[in-house]
Amino acid sequence: MTIKIRLARFGRRNAPFYNIVVAHARTARNSKPLEVIGTYDPIPKADPYDDSGRLHKDIKLDTLRAKYWIGVGAQPTDTMWRLLSMVGIMEPKYRNQQPRTAPQLPADIKKPEASSSA
Amino acid sequence: MPPRIPTKSSASSASALWTRTIGANYRQPKPEGGPNYLQAFGAGPNKPFPLNPQFRSERVLDEQARELIWEKVMRRGETLKAVSAELGVDLTRVAAVVRLKEVEKDWISKGKKLATPYSKAVLGMLPTKSFRPGVQNQPLEPINELHIHTATQKQLFWPTAESRQFTREDAAKAFHAKMLSADKRVPHPELIQMEKDLLKGMSPDEARARFIKAAEQSERKAAEKQQRKAMAEEQATKKVNTPRFEFRFKEVDSELVGKDGRAPNVVGWKYGMPHYDRKKGLVKIPTSVP
Repeated sequence: MTIKIRLARFGRRNAPFYNIVVAHARTARNSKPLEVIGTYDPIPKADPYDDSGRLHKDIKLDTLRAKYWIGVGAQPTDTMWRLLSMVGIMEPKYRNQQPRTAPQLPADIKKPEASSSA
Repeated sequence: MPPRIPTKSSASSASALWTRTIGANYRQPKPEGGPNYLQAFGAGPNKPFPLNPQFRSERVLDEQARELIWEKVMRRGETLKAVSAELGVDLTRVAAVVRLKEVEKDWISKGKKLATPYSKAVLGMLPTKSFRPGVQNQPLEPINELHIHTATQKQLFWPTAESRQFTREDAAKAFHAKMLSADKRVPHPELIQMEKDLLKGMSPDEARARFIKAAEQSERKAAEKQQRKAMAEEQATKKVNTPRFEFRFKEVDSELVGKDGRAPNVVGWKYGMPHYDRKKGLVKIPTSVP
């Protein structure tokens, strides 16, 4: 069965807090995982005595175990992929964050016109 | 039948009588200021509740005393321990006064409005303590009191030979193998050393100078320890900047879970165990200053 590196939601109402877990893909979100390898606090926080408005998010991670599980074929979810790519464990999945545009067509190709078609 | 006219209860009329006679003295504050507590039922001074003579209204530091403490610590660079020992103010209170004074001065510099009339009114109703700089002052409170350690709350039957010396060190060891003696757990262990020096015949000035030096050393040591801790934390954290937030990755060891996976400081929320964050009787507000 597929093994996933994913988040398990803990915390309270309006105060989410996640365990980073290694679990079988088809088990329930908060069922007992194979292993808890970290935590992710998605609520941005300011440093004490810092009123610059810059916020940070706290993540605890056992990188050694994360690398091991990736090595034996565990699949991170998109969110976990994003976090793991920040510490260099995964290749970034979405490199280009800009909206995609179609490449320019060569000048000699005529655009198909709706009126010319039968 | 005529409607019944409600009559005042005896308690109500007694209260009205008291307000007219004895209570009239308490209607206005005392012209000279200071507390104006009820003096009935033989309650002494500084006992605001006549039916609860056990409650004593303790003196609070007045504006001048707080300014003096701030001045000594922040302007003259004296250590918290030395100021605490000199003025007889608890070490944590000295630290709190300095912090609050800093906030006050910050507000003043920013042009924020202070609640001065309120502060004046409250201080006017309480017994206050002020210090005269440069002279020996009466202490505000005992400063070298020991916090009760839970390990010392059990009764011990610990037979020792009469021929053997049984010191405070031994008493601490009897309670717990890692426990420090009472002499080391007090807020000012340096004061004990100073008294020992005085007993040895050292001059008071020299003993005092040695105390101040020891206090400086202990404060420097504490600051260095704090700095090392912050440095270690900084090194264990990887910071990744994104346009919106900074992500701080802290390295942990997920294998310290214990035999049953329920070790007390295991990473993450635990499975099959209640989370005590809302338990009755637990402190839920921050207990330390970051």
